Amino acid sequence: MTSKILHHDQMYIDGLLNNNSSIIESIYKKFAPKVTYYIKMNSGSADEAQDVIQEVIITIYNQAKTKGLELTCPFDAYFFLLCKRKWLNELKKSYNKEVTIKDENVSIDKDVEKLAIETEEQDEKQSLFDEMFQKLGEKCQEVLKLSFVTKTMEEVASKMNVTYAYVRKKKSICTGQLTELIQQSNRYQSIKY
Amino acid sequence: MQEELYIAFENYLNNEMTSEEKVDFENKLQNQESFKKQFELYKETTQFLEVKFSNDTIDFKENLKSISKDHFSDTNKKKSKVISLQSKWFAIAATLVVFVGVWFMNSGGNPTYSDFNQHENANFTERGSVIKDLKAAQEAFNDKNYEKAIPLFEKVLEEYKRPEIEFYYGISLLEVNKTAQAEVVFNNLKDGKSVYNQKATWYLALTKLKVEDFEACKTYLKEISSDSEDFEKAQELLNELD
Repeated sequence: MTSKILHHDQMYIDGLLNNNSSIIESIYKKFAPKVTYYIKMNSGSADEAQDVIQEVIITIYNQAKTKGLELTCPFDAYFFLLCKRKWLNELKKSYNKEVTIKDENVSIDKDVEKLAIETEEQDEKQSLFDEMFQKLGEKCQEVLKLSFVTKTMEEVASKMNVTYAYVRKKKSICTGQLTELIQQSNRYQSIKY
Repeated sequence: MQEELYIAFENYLNNEMTSEEKVDFENKLQNQESFKKQFELYKETTQFLEVKFSNDTIDFKENLKSISKDHFSDTNKKKSKVISLQSKWFAIAATLVVFVGVWFMNSGGNPTYSDFNQHENANFTERGSVIKDLKAAQEAFNDKNYEKAIPLFEKVLEEYKRPEIEFYYGISLLEVNKTAQAEVVFNNLKDGKSVYNQKATWYLALTKLKVEDFEACKTYLKEISSDSEDFEKAQELLNELD
C-alpha cells in the first residue's frame, strides 16, 4: 500500500464508520448549509437538498466500509463536490426542470476531484449490486439476507427450518447467481474493473 | 459445474478447505485468468452483501435518518416543533401554570415535575413485523394513555431495540411513577451514542425532580450542554431550584 498523507478531517470518515452521532451532527451543522444554499440557488428545494446530503453521506459510508477511504483533502471540499455533482445529475435526469447553473468560478483541486470520482465509481457499483439483488428469486434473497444478518449459519438453518448443509449450499449458489446477473448487465460492461 | 465452483469459492473464503484443496485452488487462481476474475467478483459480491446487511449499517442508516430529520426541521421551521392544536392550548395553559408557579415559588416553594412534563409526540417511521404494535404504542402514548403504552413498547423492544423507542418507553414509565425503571432506561440512553443521549439527561433530571431529589436533579441539569434543545428549560429549572 502506498502511504498517503491523511488529512486530519479523516475524523469525519471514522466518525461515520463508528456511527458517532456527535460527528454526524457536526457534519450537518458545518457542511450542510452550504450544500442546501447551492441546491436552492440551482432550481432545488430544501427537501431535495436533504435527500442529496443523506444519499451522499451513505455513499461515503459505504465506500469507507467496503473499500476503506483515506481522505487526502479537506472533507468540506470532497463532500461539497459529491453533493454538487449528484444534484447536477438529478437535474439532468428530470427534463422538465429549467436548468440554470449558478456557479462560482472556482477551480477544483485535482486531489479532491480524483477522490470524488473514485467514490462515485464505487457508488455506481453499489447501486448495480442493489439493482441485481432485487432481480434474484425471493428464496435467494431471503437466504442471503439471513446469512448476513444472523450470526451463524446454524441459526439461519434453524430459522428457515432446513438443514445446515442445505443453507450452506444455497448461500453459495445464490451468491453465484448474483454474480451472473451482475456480469450479464449492460451497466457492468461500462464500469471499470 | 457452476454450482461446484461457487461452493468452492465459499469454502475458500470461509477457510474450510483441506490443505490439498487449498493448494489446488490457489494454483488455479494464479494460472487461470477467468477463474480468478470470477472469484474476485464472487468475493466482492460477498463483501457487498456483508456491508448491506450488517447491523452496523442498518443502525447507521437509522441514526443518520433521524439526525437529518432533526437538522432540517430545525433549520426550516426555525425550531418550531410540530405541535397539534390541542397541545397549543395545553402550552398556553402550561405557561399560565408556570406563571402562577413562579408566583408561589417566590414565596419559597419548589418547582414540581408537572410544571415540566410536556413531552414531544411520538412519531415512529419503522417498517416490518413490529409495525402494528408500535403504531398502537405510539397512539396510546400520544393520547397520554401510558399504562396502555408500556406493555406495547415492551413487546416491540423485545425484538426491535431502537433508541427512539426506548426513549418514549422511558417517558411512559416515568409518567406512571415507575421511576426506578425509567432511570435505568434513561441511563442506558445517556451512555449510548444515539441522538437521544442529551434528551435522556434532561429526563433523568425530571425523574429526580419527580422524586424530589433536588440535588441530583441539579447535577443532571448542569450536564446539559448549551447546544442541546433542552438547554433553556434546564436553565429555567435550575434557576427555580436555586
